Amino acid sequence: MKLRHFMDDAYQGKTRNKRLDTRKGDVVFSLDDLAERVGERPIKADVEKLVPEDDRLLASLISSNPGKKHQMIWGILTSIAAERSHQPLRLQSGNFVGLELSSGIIVLEHGGDHVGERMSGGRIFIKGEAGDYLGQEMVGAGIVVGSCGDYAFRNMRSGWGVVLGGSGKHTGVGNSGGRIAVRGDCGERSGWLMRGGRLHIRGNAGDYLGLLMSGGEITVIGRAGKRSGWRMKGGSIKAGSYGPEAGEGSRGGSILGLDS
Amino acid sequence: MNKIKALVASLEELRLHVGRKDLMIGDYGLNAQLYFSLANACLRNHAVLLYGGMGANKTTLVNLLGAAFMGQPFGDIENLMISGHPEQTEEKMVGFLDPRQWSRPGGDAMEVLWTPWARSQWKVINEINRFPSGKQNIFLEILQKRKIGYAGKVLEPGDTSYFATMNPDFSATYPLDEALLDRISACVPATQPDFLGSLALSERERAIADLADGLPRFSASEFASLPGCVLEMELGPQVELAIISLLRDFTLCERAPGYDKTQLSGTAPSKGLCSGCHYFNNPEAVCWQADEGLSDRVRQDLRDYTRAMAFLTERRVDIEVLRAVAPYVIWHRVTPNRSALERPPYYGARRLDYVRDLVERSINRTLNERGEMNMIFSRAVDGEISARDAIKELSGYDDPIARLDYLPALERIR
Repeated sequence: MKLRHFMDDAYQGKTRNKRLDTRKGDVVFSLDDLAERVGERPIKADVEKLVPEDDRLLASLISSNPGKKHQMIWGILTSIAAERSHQPLRLQSGNFVGLELSSGIIVLEHGGDHVGERMSGGRIFIKGEAGDYLGQEMVGAGIVVGSCGDYAFRNMRSGWGVVLGGSGKHTGVGNSGGRIAVRGDCGERSGWLMRGGRLHIRGNAGDYLGLLMSGGEITVIGRAGKRSGWRMKGGSIKAGSYGPEAGEGSRGGSILGLDS
Repeated sequence: MNKIKALVASLEELRLHVGRKDLMIGDYGLNAQLYFSLANACLRNHAVLLYGGMGANKTTLVNLLGAAFMGQPFGDIENLMISGHPEQTEEKMVGFLDPRQWSRPGGDAMEVLWTPWARSQWKVINEINRFPSGKQNIFLEILQKRKIGYAGKVLEPGDTSYFATMNPDFSATYPLDEALLDRISACVPATQPDFLGSLALSERERAIADLADGLPRFSASEFASLPGCVLEMELGPQVELAIISLLRDFTLCERAPGYDKTQLSGTAPSKGLCSGCHYFNNPEAVCWQADEGLSDRVRQDLRDYTRAMAFLTERRVDIEVLRAVAPYVIWHRVTPNRSALERPPYYGARRLDYVRDLVERSINRTLNERGEMNMIFSRAVDGEISARDAIKELSGYDDPIARLDYLPALERIR
């Protein structure tokens, strides 16, 4: 039997040409699938290309547990979901939530580590406590949080952060811009290596406030710990009172009382 | 055929089997558990596995059908059946040495007393997964060779219909060997009756054994004629083509030895084999969505059951029958991609539906998008165009069958 006759009988003259569309819907079913394509420390643009258009599929990706392995990818997905959504994105908690967020609103019950890292737009509201590295390397936008751990707003360039309770150590370390307001106390070495921006503490500040800072303004309504402004090169610190050795070794800047 | 219709009607009227219409052939709904059992009764040397929870009428249905087709009382058929449990032995199932031979003068040949089950042409293996793996091999051998051996003696029972039942993985069950699963032609879920079915069953007031006497009985010649009736059903080229393409879709793999997934050992799509492959994650490609390839045995089963189902439903052997039948023939033989299976609407549980969707995609692709490439290939094979021209044309197709099957075949022709 000729094969062509077989095919003719099978198709009865009706054939349609279509190539297998290998790019059609590179469907991503899980964080594992996504990680295989973009790696575990991806660029947001790469993830955006692969994120499903289907909001339900995106929601199910976000609802899956990323573990430690896929937490950065998951964080980018939360940002993408918030950006796409007209409503605030509500989540329980997680590390890297709002990573590189550019718009939209995220509301968290409490935050893990690295929340709002590198965000440039939008808002993040954290009802409870956040972990470490909150708002690290922010370039814009704002975060409101109940309280936070260490290294909050580290290397901030722009934007603002409000901490309704206390913040941990190294708050605002290395900042070159932006504004941080802490209603409670902050830990030691806050404002360390600060180059610009503002840090306002309503409570007390720990030791070594503004250590090695070269710019920016720090205001402490309560008491600043020992060695405030130690070896500072610029900027200003104003506090209600100071511990011993304030301004020791400083080569510039000013350490003043609140009345000044 | 009229007798089969009468049998189906009796089962329902007597409330012996009231199943939901979960097998759709075109717009026509049938109960898969019943119709696959009937199809198996019309075929020979095939095995159907009924898989489901306790009390889903698996064993009873098969025994009722056995009583009808073998023309025997229900109780006799029930007694023939063997059931799985760890103490089951080959001697109890198949046969044992006749001890009388040692007290008889003369005679060198070993004599075996074969069990009724061994001699029966309607073999039911109840709770097959309660047999330990070693015992399961007995069935593998029987299905493979169609003969039963014991102590060097061989019994050829002739053409036989095999049925097996299985509960899900409870305690004291054993996994089924893949080689044995491949010998099982079709696996049919046996579901509990729905609301209306339960209501109907509550009308049954007499014992099953009593009601079974009311079922029509087939004579030996009527039963023997059924395979011939099925063979008369002609399989068209469209269905043949869809069957072959379906098998190739599951079996071809760009990274497997010989592009044949059945050659894989120690690796599989679910173990990272497909990482970086451009077919991976493409919903139109079936290859990455199941770990196993399909053997030629599947092709034969697809042909036979499609014919049998067409015979039972009195329709032509067309593509709708294949669409309905193929998932049941394939799903127990493959392991779906885990992350795809766990997503809605499968939720990690609906394997049959998952395989059904894969089958749909493959058949639709064969009927629609593959037309042109199939014509090019067929013309090259027939010599109407040169293999070189065909290779050039087909190189533009990204379909796995074109790239991994047609092109190598044309290279060999060239």
